Amino acid sequence: MKAFAFARPASFAEAGELLADRRYSLPVLKAGGMDVVDHMKEGLLEPDLLIDIRATGVRPAGISRTDDGGLRIGAMTTLAEIAASPIVRATAPVVADAAGSAATPQVRNVATAAGNLLQRPRCWYYRNEQFHCLKKGGHTCYAVEGENKFHAIFGGGPCHIVHPSNLAPALAVCGGRVHLTGGDRPSLSIDDLYHAPAQGVWSEHELEKNEIITHITIGPASRSGFYAVKEKQSFDWPLVMASVMLRTQGSSITAARVSAGAVAPIPWRLPAVEAALAGVRVDDDAGLRKACAGAADGANPLSDNAYKASLLPVAVRRAVLRATGRDEKEA
Amino acid sequence: MSEQRDHLPTIMPTSNRPINAGAALDDDTARLDAVAKVTGRARYARDRYEPNALFAAFIRCPFGAATLTGLDEAAAKAVPGVVDVKRTGDEGRYHGEPVGFVVAESKHALRRGLRAVAPKWKRGSVKTTITDDAGPIPATEDDVAEAIANADHVIEAVYSTPVQTHSALETHGVVVDHRGDTATVYASTQGTFSVRDGIGDALGLARSEFEVRCEYVGGGFGAKFGPGKEGMLAAEVARRHERPVYVFCDRAEEHLDTGNRPSSRTHVRVGFAKDGTPLATRVHTWGGVGVARRGGGARIPSQRYDLGSVQKTHEDVQFNAGGPRAMRAPGWPQGAFAEELLLDEIATVAGVDPLALRRRLDGDTARRAMYDLGADLIGWSRRAKTGTQSSVVRRGFGVGTTSWPRIPARAEAEVVVHRDGSVEARTGTQDIGQGQRTAMGVIAATKLGVPLRLVTVMIGRSSYPVGPGSGGSMTLPNTAPAMMAAALDARSKVLEHVARRRGMEANELTIADGYVIRGEERLVGWEDACRGLPDDGVTGRGDGRSGAAHRGEGTSAGVQFVELTVDSETGVIAVERVVAIQACGQVVSRKTAESQIIGGVIQGISYALFEDKLLDRNLGAMVNPNLEMYKIVGSRDMPHIEPVLWTQGQTGVRSLGEPPVVPTAGAIAAAVFNAIGAPVRHLPLTPDKVLAAQEGGAA
Repeated sequence: MKAFAFARPASFAEAGELLADRRYSLPVLKAGGMDVVDHMKEGLLEPDLLIDIRATGVRPAGISRTDDGGLRIGAMTTLAEIAASPIVRATAPVVADAAGSAATPQVRNVATAAGNLLQRPRCWYYRNEQFHCLKKGGHTCYAVEGENKFHAIFGGGPCHIVHPSNLAPALAVCGGRVHLTGGDRPSLSIDDLYHAPAQGVWSEHELEKNEIITHITIGPASRSGFYAVKEKQSFDWPLVMASVMLRTQGSSITAARVSAGAVAPIPWRLPAVEAALAGVRVDDDAGLRKACAGAADGANPLSDNAYKASLLPVAVRRAVLRATGRDEKEA
Repeated sequence: MSEQRDHLPTIMPTSNRPINAGAALDDDTARLDAVAKVTGRARYARDRYEPNALFAAFIRCPFGAATLTGLDEAAAKAVPGVVDVKRTGDEGRYHGEPVGFVVAESKHALRRGLRAVAPKWKRGSVKTTITDDAGPIPATEDDVAEAIANADHVIEAVYSTPVQTHSALETHGVVVDHRGDTATVYASTQGTFSVRDGIGDALGLARSEFEVRCEYVGGGFGAKFGPGKEGMLAAEVARRHERPVYVFCDRAEEHLDTGNRPSSRTHVRVGFAKDGTPLATRVHTWGGVGVARRGGGARIPSQRYDLGSVQKTHEDVQFNAGGPRAMRAPGWPQGAFAEELLLDEIATVAGVDPLALRRRLDGDTARRAMYDLGADLIGWSRRAKTGTQSSVVRRGFGVGTTSWPRIPARAEAEVVVHRDGSVEARTGTQDIGQGQRTAMGVIAATKLGVPLRLVTVMIGRSSYPVGPGSGGSMTLPNTAPAMMAAALDARSKVLEHVARRRGMEANELTIADGYVIRGEERLVGWEDACRGLPDDGVTGRGDGRSGAAHRGEGTSAGVQFVELTVDSETGVIAVERVVAIQACGQVVSRKTAESQIIGGVIQGISYALFEDKLLDRNLGAMVNPNLEMYKIVGSRDMPHIEPVLWTQGQTGVRSLGEPPVVPTAGAIAAAVFNAIGAPVRHLPLTPDKVLAAQEGGAA
């Protein structure tokens, strides 16, 4: 770890000025610090200025309702606050469960909403300084010929990371947007926040250097559900996860949004499943099963991760069942 | 006297385990160092930041095979705070193999120095698994082959287990405080005396000129004997600079280069009768020993079951990885995994209850009684026949067995009674977390007849009376008799003084509850009695010979029962309950004994479900050298564990550390087979393998 300057700005504007300060070659924002500090310890990131935006006056108020029945979630709201919030639970259970399922209580108490969205991948080649992989300017994705049990089954490479965020797919199905300061754009949808490796492998998101997420908004999603399959139930990254939001009329699904996590380098929308769910009754177990069966269609697994294609339809169906308030293991 | 305060006993009744009440010399005392450990007051070797200390670490090969072609020693030496850089080799045969070291004034300077040396490597081709270079199975003897061929049924299968790292919470390391003509060595070790015996030459001192101290150890599990390469480096650097030197592995180094439970493959061909009775068994095992030459043995057959006439052969297979070291019951969990699952496969083919089959094949009388108790406690009657469930969530029951011998070792102990009534119980062995400190205190107090609060336990120093290393489950079985004899010796010396002053015979007197007693009469309180001792008190001494009457004989038998569920759509296993029945002779401290059993079960669950040291198949580098991707069981995966201390017919203190880790993975695998109807023959039992087994019948 190299010596670095440490700043605690009092506002986003001040943080933005620091990001633009030419005296520093690599200024980096730190919110909860979960991922930034990991990167520094692993020798993957050597900022010369660390801008701590967590414990200052810029920390926006946590969670509030919006006029359209949705929510505004401050960028620095912790995962624990989101998971415990009664209004998140009522408005978008998928978001509450996605936040509550991440990491550990200790991590959730510190990790922030925006940090969760912008965290870097957990790929063991990326995380190891010894592997000069595509993401670090190298010429090889070591996962292709190597150990790829936890890598992507969608997305087409050339880098086969999975995006690690629990929140991103959950926010995506709720029509989530990140609101920005410091640049020209006021906001981006969650689906537009990320790009596939083919569009740029050095970063996963579309934010410019000076852009900072101030808050997140989502629409109402009271019929929504999250399901993650993990090897280990304490502190483990999901093998696959699914976020689902339904619109219903009577007991019929009129529209659905489905996004999968841990299967692609970006939150992976499943439009075919969304279309197949429309018109299915929520108590029609066979119909739901059929609509979700194609969740992994088009997957292109690597040598050791085809099992994810078996798990994905299960996770999606269970998220749908949770969205309808049913026990996911009974249907 | 913070140490003294740390040792004040805390009483926390374990009312949730009434089944074990009254099983022990002491029932309810929490471990003597519990408060010190949970408050952080306990000072581990890793916590020894001596004034003016240097810090050293190895330069290590980052690949499975590589030649060092360049090392920028000048750049590293130019880093402020870097004291020395030395190249010791050019060939790395495994990820983590040392090829040099850096010495620096601080941890930060050390890290900067390690980066500045910027080694250049030329990679070679690698073998990364036990199968890459495994030889063929030797020919089967004619009579065994014939017996198998003539049997009613034959099962032929391959079982495998991964490399498991010890993952001690406190990594391997040593701090050497060298003062020129004397030294103190602070070691995280399972063998205080083995560090003394191994490090003297490197220190340039006679064994009489330095002391090894090991107050607390954050986990050992078999890989912490002798000074290790960390201790040797610390000693060498300390000697050269005559300054304290700190060498501790980081988490990655701990995974890479401090030993492991070797991987195994077991090929079995068994012929058995219609009722499931094995007639003949051909077993061949391969052990994955990395760059070591041996140490990969897998204990199958275990000899706990009659498998008919058995032919066993074994081959150790080398590949590009750090070699194994002893790990909690070396070779036994690997063997038990294959053997217990095999028995359930036999039982299923034969259409008999696997517990009934074990009763038939297991001649041990203690275990036969344990089968009955365990079946009752786990609710074995609720077990559905294997392969009959069609619900999403399927329930499975499994059983496994264990045993452990008593391994003799030299042990001596002293009990000093001072004139103020305070007591020192001394023996040099270490407490690696098993509760040795507590057990020594309990023994001294109960044999003297005084309250435990009067006893200060002094262990973990090479200047104290000699004792065994904590391996082979031999610490307490050997130190308990010595400490009992020492306490009884001290007691009779105290009583002689009391008797002489009062004109009585010592054999009329005894000590109980803090009083000297004659018949029914409390003659004098302990502290008053001690005031009459000589100025320097009295010292009782004991060893293996004088304590022979307290020695435990026979083996520590055990049986474990597992109840779990398998989610048949996701392949996720949830272990719900483990009943662990374990004999260990006379129990000294109920809580620490129960804790030993629970700890063994937890390590067994982690081995069964999660742990796997994974090397990149092309580069030979470990891809998960951390505690994020090297997965160890966590709180939400923890079942309810019910340790049952088997007291029937138990006398003398016997082994307990290792036997509880032996049967767990096998019992879990058997329970998974029971739930889903297909055996998963390869650890860890992860969802991908469970799903594949369900689809393909057997995996």
